Amino acid sequence: MTIPPDSIDVDQVHRDDTSDGSPFAPHDDSEVEEMLAAVGVDTAEELFDIPESVRFEGSFDIDGASEQRVRQRLRETVEQNEDYTEFLGRGHNSHYVPSIVDRISLRSEFLTSYTQYQPEITQGFLQVLFEYQSVIAELTGLDVANCSMYDAATALGEAATLADRSRRADGNRVLVPDYMRDTHRDVLENYVEGTELVVEAFDTENGQVNPETLENELSEDVVLIYVENPTIEGVIEENLTEIGELSDAYGALYCIGSDPVALSLLQSPGSVGADMVVGDASVLGLSTAYGMGLGMFACDEEFLRQVPGRLVGASEDSDGTRAFTLTLQTREQHIRRERATSNICTNQAWVALRTAIHAASLGPSGLVSLAEKCHRLPERVAAELDEIDGVSAPVRDCHHFREFKARVEPDARELAADLREEGIAIHALGSDEIQVSITDVNEHRTDDFVQAITEVMN
Amino acid sequence: MSFNVPEDRRYTESHEWTEPRDDVVRIGITDFAQDELGDIVFVELPEVGDEIEAGESFGIVESIKAVSDIYATVSGEVAAVNDEIRDQPELVNDEPFDGGWLIEIETNDDLDHLLSPSEYSEQI
Repeated sequence: MTIPPDSIDVDQVHRDDTSDGSPFAPHDDSEVEEMLAAVGVDTAEELFDIPESVRFEGSFDIDGASEQRVRQRLRETVEQNEDYTEFLGRGHNSHYVPSIVDRISLRSEFLTSYTQYQPEITQGFLQVLFEYQSVIAELTGLDVANCSMYDAATALGEAATLADRSRRADGNRVLVPDYMRDTHRDVLENYVEGTELVVEAFDTENGQVNPETLENELSEDVVLIYVENPTIEGVIEENLTEIGELSDAYGALYCIGSDPVALSLLQSPGSVGADMVVGDASVLGLSTAYGMGLGMFACDEEFLRQVPGRLVGASEDSDGTRAFTLTLQTREQHIRRERATSNICTNQAWVALRTAIHAASLGPSGLVSLAEKCHRLPERVAAELDEIDGVSAPVRDCHHFREFKARVEPDARELAADLREEGIAIHALGSDEIQVSITDVNEHRTDDFVQAITEVMN
Repeated sequence: MSFNVPEDRRYTESHEWTEPRDDVVRIGITDFAQDELGDIVFVELPEVGDEIEAGESFGIVESIKAVSDIYATVSGEVAAVNDEIRDQPELVNDEPFDGGWLIEIETNDDLDHLLSPSEYSEQI
């Protein structure tokens, strides 16, 4: 008998290829029984000590599917995405990631779901993390960088708790600028929950910190002052040195939020008195994707023993050969328990690897060229937009990096919707402002972008 | 292995020693303690003027693979801190009873509650 083609169960066919049950676990019932008998239990559930009260008894309602079918479904889902040219930004910025980054980071020696820390077998990975730390230390002008945290927001949370631990004078206030992104502030507030710390926002003027206004907020009970450079609006802060002097005068620690590309061009945080730098280092090595990041964390050597997360150090083995190892582990939770500097127990090692490869492939001059582009392009496009009737750009009368805000009339949201029709995505901020991010990734479409706005506005 | 237990001072079960001096008592960790910890790489100490309580942790000794609290043997005000061990923590290994002392405390407490050298020797 011939089975008509449309009645073949593709999932069943492919499931039979691998196993009788789960297509991903090649064990049949008899093998499972054999294994259970070997360890002396009747069911797999007996292997887990999960209290009844928290057990999920229902069904997940997920149908098994073959690998081929899963791939088909994923492809169909991905094809539903609209293909926009993004000018979005506001904390998530893409740069072109050279193919060498994929080529090296996808090698099986590096690509593993396990964070590689065993010095005996992972000298290569430890060396890469050491190089990553070195790049970050050099760009920030600070002495110490850890080998990464989850994201910029958690790195800032760690900066706040470090300040709390390190500052001898009494105090519990963490000052952040009013331009700070809500989501980062939320994480920060969550992070300091359970400590005495209180997060307060101070007013800024024209998108950046006015030292006089800041000083009005300062007193001896401030443990940390946080500012960003560039800010979430792309503004380059002009008063970093003055803020550093103020933090010194009041005994607060000073933390700057930034990223490795911006730091290739902007004032080095170390040179303006910063004690710490946090931010998202994944602007190198990773395209923007679903909020994933790479928490950058660097600080002055004074705080070496308070640094959260892991540090890789260079040392020598017994034969005098250069070797790499995790160092200062006595700060960590597996040794110091409740007195550990942080309870983040893993990090973004593989993303840090990609960032290190990207930075190395660009080299110092390549990084500076990229950063210069991120300064020059937005200013040029802002000037072009400013020529259009109904558009005023940039809103902030100052220098920008990657991004700027523009005022539009009559309605920013309508403009953003009209531009989407043209395949262009921008942020509408309220009813009369848009924000535009321009980097090497979308620079080839800036003329189309200006043209599209011109047409839509007319 | 025998450890040095000087007769001129008193001890705790947690391996601190206390030496009465003219106006203060000097505190450190014992020969046995430094040997157990191994190479000491960092010592965290209070500041002069800090008030400390008997039985409470006043500092931390870090060796390559362990971190230990150091407990105050008496209550009082920190009168002096051995600054040399900030730069040379190995002094605690080399001279636990001399150059590796940790802090001096101005106190009104007596030392009767602490172990005698012979009692401490029995413990280790």
